[in-house]
Amino acid sequence: MTAERSLEIITEQIERSRRTITENSSIALISWGTCVFVFALLIAYLWKCHGGPAWNALWAVMWLVGCLAERLITKRKEPVPVTFVGKTIGHVWATFGIFMGAIGIIFGLAGSGLLPVTFTISGDPLNAHLYVNLTSIISLCFGIASTITGFILKNRIVQVCGFIAGLGGFFCALQYPWSEQLYVMAAVAVIGLIIPGLVIYFQKQK
Amino acid sequence: MFKPLDPLLHSELRLAVVSLLISAEEAEFPYIKEQTGATAGNLSVQIDKLSAAGYIEVEKTFKGKKPCTLCRITPAGLKAFEEYVKALRSYLDVKQ
Repeated sequence: MTAERSLEIITEQIERSRRTITENSSIALISWGTCVFVFALLIAYLWKCHGGPAWNALWAVMWLVGCLAERLITKRKEPVPVTFVGKTIGHVWATFGIFMGAIGIIFGLAGSGLLPVTFTISGDPLNAHLYVNLTSIISLCFGIASTITGFILKNRIVQVCGFIAGLGGFFCALQYPWSEQLYVMAAVAVIGLIIPGLVIYFQKQK
Repeated sequence: MFKPLDPLLHSELRLAVVSLLISAEEAEFPYIKEQTGATAGNLSVQIDKLSAAGYIEVEKTFKGKKPCTLCRITPAGLKAFEEYVKALRSYLDVKQ
């Protein structure tokens, strides 16, 4: 075996491994993006037509559905190796999930009165209020996590889509009333997760 | 002066297995088989050789009810691979 052939084998195997990880990430991006998109539209509809913001509790159901879908997909797929890159991407999204979940639960409990906390700013006690736009915060963090994933995967499309989804979602959510912000969230899921996932997936199929 | 190439790594299939494990923390036997395109019998023999040399670690476990063979590179394997690449470079530098 020549030195060139040895080098070719090493390069080929490392490249194959990288391709498998990227392809695997694309499926996760598509499945989670679809979950967020469907639930955002569903919650927006229920909020507008069948009650109030209490339907936001369905986000917990989305998390369950997403985890189940991921488990099913992983079971049916060919085995994927455990890699540092794959683990790092998982940690980025897990951190995002933990922070957003915690913020959502705290605001939900405070809003429903179960948690005796009021998020107000000091000043005039009669008009003291603090407007926290949760959709803006979530969109921004979504975009940050998506952009970081793009940098880890060295994929420009994921980076750009994450950037557009994060910043676009942050400012758009500030323009709309509560229930309509969920349409922004659905758009963020499409731009930040589904589109880059589909692009990567079809790039790898070629 | 050419550096000697590790004969254990200087084989197409064994080099492919080690190269795959370099970028992965651990990989299952079917994944390595699929990526290298080797037959199960041949791959098993080569994995045993790498394992006997201490280059990789083989763990037989279960995934649900199915048996599962996990392979991992060891620090000795990593060092051997680095030495192999260094030696390879000396050959390529002379050619260029």
